[in-house]
Amino acid sequence: MQPDGRSREWMCSGHVGCAGCGAAVAMRFFLKAMGEKTILVVPACCWSVIAGPYPQSALKVPVIHAAFETGGATASGVRAALDMRGDTETTVVTWAGDGGTFDIGFQALSGAVERNENFIYVCYDNEAYMNTGIQRSSSTPYGAWTTTTPGRDWKKMRKKNIVEALVAHRIPYAATASIAYPEDLIRKAEKARSMKGSRFLHIFASCPTGWRIPSEMSVKIARMAVQTNIFPLYEVEDGVRYTINYRPKEYLVREYFRLQGRFRHLKEEDLDQIQGMVDEDWRLLLRKAGGGA
Amino acid sequence: MTAEMIPRALIMPRTHETTESNKTGSWRFLRPRYENKTSPCSAACPAGEDIAMIEMLAGRGLFKEAWETILLENPLPGTCGRVCFHPCEGVCNRKDFDASVAVHDVERFLADVAARNDLKPVLEKLPRRPHRVAVVGSGPAGLSAAWFLGLLGYGCDVYEALPEAGGVLRWGIPEYRLPSPVLNVEIARIESGGARILRGRPVTMESLDGLRKDYSAVFLGCGLSRGAPLRISGEVPDAVTDGLVFLRNVRGGQPPPCDGLSAVIGGGNTAVDIARTVVRLGGKAAILYRRRREDMPAFQDEVSMALEEGVELHQLLAPEAIRPLGRRYGLVLKRMRVEGRDRDGRGRVVPTGETTEMEVERVFTATGAEAAQPWHRPPSGRGSGISLSHCVIVSEDGANPLVYGGDPVNETKNVTQAIASGKQAAMALDTFFQEGMEAVEARLAECRVGNGPALSMEIYMGGPRRLRSSHVVQPGEINTDYFRFGARMTQPRLLVEERIDSFDEIDLRVSAGTSIREAERCFNCGLCNQCDNCYVFCPDVAVRRGRDMNDRRIDYDYCKGCGLCAAECPRNAVTLEKEDAP
Ligand SMILES: Cc1ncc(C[n+]2csc(CCOP(=O)(O)OP(=O)(O)O)c2C)c(N)n1
Ligand code: SF4
Ligand SMILES: [Mg+2]
Repeated sequence: MQPDGRSREWMCSGHVGCAGCGAAVAMRFFLKAMGEKTILVVPACCWSVIAGPYPQSALKVPVIHAAFETGGATASGVRAALDMRGDTETTVVTWAGDGGTFDIGFQALSGAVERNENFIYVCYDNEAYMNTGIQRSSSTPYGAWTTTTPGRDWKKMRKKNIVEALVAHRIPYAATASIAYPEDLIRKAEKARSMKGSRFLHIFASCPTGWRIPSEMSVKIARMAVQTNIFPLYEVEDGVRYTINYRPKEYLVREYFRLQGRFRHLKEEDLDQIQGMVDEDWRLLLRKAGGGA
Repeated sequence: MTAEMIPRALIMPRTHETTESNKTGSWRFLRPRYENKTSPCSAACPAGEDIAMIEMLAGRGLFKEAWETILLENPLPGTCGRVCFHPCEGVCNRKDFDASVAVHDVERFLADVAARNDLKPVLEKLPRRPHRVAVVGSGPAGLSAAWFLGLLGYGCDVYEALPEAGGVLRWGIPEYRLPSPVLNVEIARIESGGARILRGRPVTMESLDGLRKDYSAVFLGCGLSRGAPLRISGEVPDAVTDGLVFLRNVRGGQPPPCDGLSAVIGGGNTAVDIARTVVRLGGKAAILYRRRREDMPAFQDEVSMALEEGVELHQLLAPEAIRPLGRRYGLVLKRMRVEGRDRDGRGRVVPTGETTEMEVERVFTATGAEAAQPWHRPPSGRGSGISLSHCVIVSEDGANPLVYGGDPVNETKNVTQAIASGKQAAMALDTFFQEGMEAVEARLAECRVGNGPALSMEIYMGGPRRLRSSHVVQPGEINTDYFRFGARMTQPRLLVEERIDSFDEIDLRVSAGTSIREAERCFNCGLCNQCDNCYVFCPDVAVRRGRDMNDRRIDYDYCKGCGLCAAECPRNAVTLEKEDAP
């Protein structure tokens, strides 16, 4: 299981992520691929807290805490400063939540990748504004309860397809990854590191607290998201070359939804409808990847 | 902004310590802990073989180590890989995932590799003891007792009446199922383990008394070597042959004539063995059974192969009488029908009142076996001594103990139960010699595999297996996300045409590749196989590994008790428990 030479840890114990936090797992894997020569730009999100209060840091690489909406812009500046110093070795990485990516940081991100800034943008996706108490974002999936979509007002809009939005910018590399598939995640991070220009990683990172699941389920749920095609693992090079990394055995979405408190209110017909949406998205992806190839 | 207001140097807060001063372990209310558990197969194996470990080693190509792991619990892997009824496979947690692991095929492979390469096992032995034990009978029970007593430091003399050792294994099981070279290798290994086998040295009731004086203890593993009679009219020696005698003669190189149709009465493996032997000697055979095919104690696989080879099976027929019919015999049979169920769950049969007659050349009996001598069985009114699950120990005041084992004592009678009996006797005698008879039962109870009836010699000898929890891993405790479907291996076999005119072994050799793949199918229920999932998925970097990466420990200073290690362990080698209240 453990990929060779990845025994070095870049994340410390004692961080204050919740028990079973998928975002912590995501960071741990990601940094195993990146190594020492990495600067992280972290706009406001859970990770701003997990990384530790001054004077502590949970990470053994430099972290720049940035304003919520500035992930793309700050990283562009850091890159420019490094370039001026002649440092081509260090990789600049923005590490942002879904709120900071899909919503408030979107224009800075879009601007940066439109200029093909030389950096990696990672969105660890826990499908809501978790740090401030589970508010819905445009990444929150259809059907979910959040504190701003409570009771019968559960979210009736679909999750934004962020990878496709980035692909539309024709960046060199955009990929999805999941904490349940460490080797795939680390391979993609390494691949991104070896490339130049704007690279985007969308990492599915379950949140036991916000999703109302037991902490020990967070990896299982992430795995099920892939197995059910809710979160397919794929990568896109130069905005056109699609590769699907995992072909699931058509598990039903029902099981995935049943296990999570945030979906408890959904009825059978809602689940049927969601299954239809997932199937539709999957067919669309297959088409882009060259029809089932 | 005036010039004075611009700071001279930009003050930038820079972190200078890690988060490791936060002891997040204080958040924990569930506590994970590494704990190897018991696999269902190992608890179901009468010999308590450490199957999950054997498969793990075999899957890594560590054939010798896997074979030695078997030998610690069972001295006859070549035999059991061939003739054991493998209850392990029936309880395999993989059964409902795709198909159970072919445990017996892997066992046979390991034994054959060891034999082919003339491997010598390196097993830990306890220091030599002064006591010597006499073992009467060199069948599976006697061989097992001698082997395990050897491991425990005792010298043994095994008294065998016949000129060759092996008992029922040599004389009662046909070559095509258990070739004698396989048996010879196993017996030679037991002898080099320290047991002395005295061939052609029958023991009588009178000489037994002498043995009890000359040795510190005597183990009686005389087996059941005489077929039970039918007790019907016309049962004369010309017409009826004890099937066990027939098999013995064939294996002894003196096959009697088998032309024409032979009737075989019975439904166990012996009946099937006799019928298939008759076919191989050029005759025809019909098995007559009073119940139905599905009620036969014989292995279904053996029954199917017998039918392929041309053996007839007549169900629901019980013998009533035999009458001479010229040079042949008329076998009168009662028709039976099923009415209700017996206590063992099989259909109960009652006569319909009709009879039928069959003209046959001869009749073979295979309706159970009896002790050749009454003193082979334990006395009914037990004086001083104890009665265990697989042996009875008699020790009158002052006399050296006499241990009865094997088929005459065992409730279920088969090779592996006989091996279990020899092992139990060895443990019991060692405890008796070292601590006294009172200590025996408690000491053996400590060595149970998963609280079942099987005993582990490794546990008895203080090996690492003693640290395992007795919890038997259930199918729901396996994280099947980590396993891919994989077809169970198919054992290559001789074709029917090749089978029926020779006594060549039917099951052919299996390649190392196939065996490794099969062993890798094992979930290794309850046993850490160093997959590292617990380390990989820990969100708190709280699983620490030693230098060789194979010893892991949980750093409770930081473990928040999220439980991911336990949930992602594919094989339930991590236990999650409520944290004790401070
Ligand atoms: C401009 C601005 N608005 C609001 C906030 C408060 N705030 C801090 S983190 C956060 C939520 C972040 O959500 P997301 O990006 O999804 O990351 P998560 O906490 O879920 O990991 C918000 C709303 C802020 N820091 N700045
Ligand atoms: S709220 Fe969710 S994402 Fe944030 S630290 Fe807790 S588990 Fe992790
Ligand atoms: Mg979020």
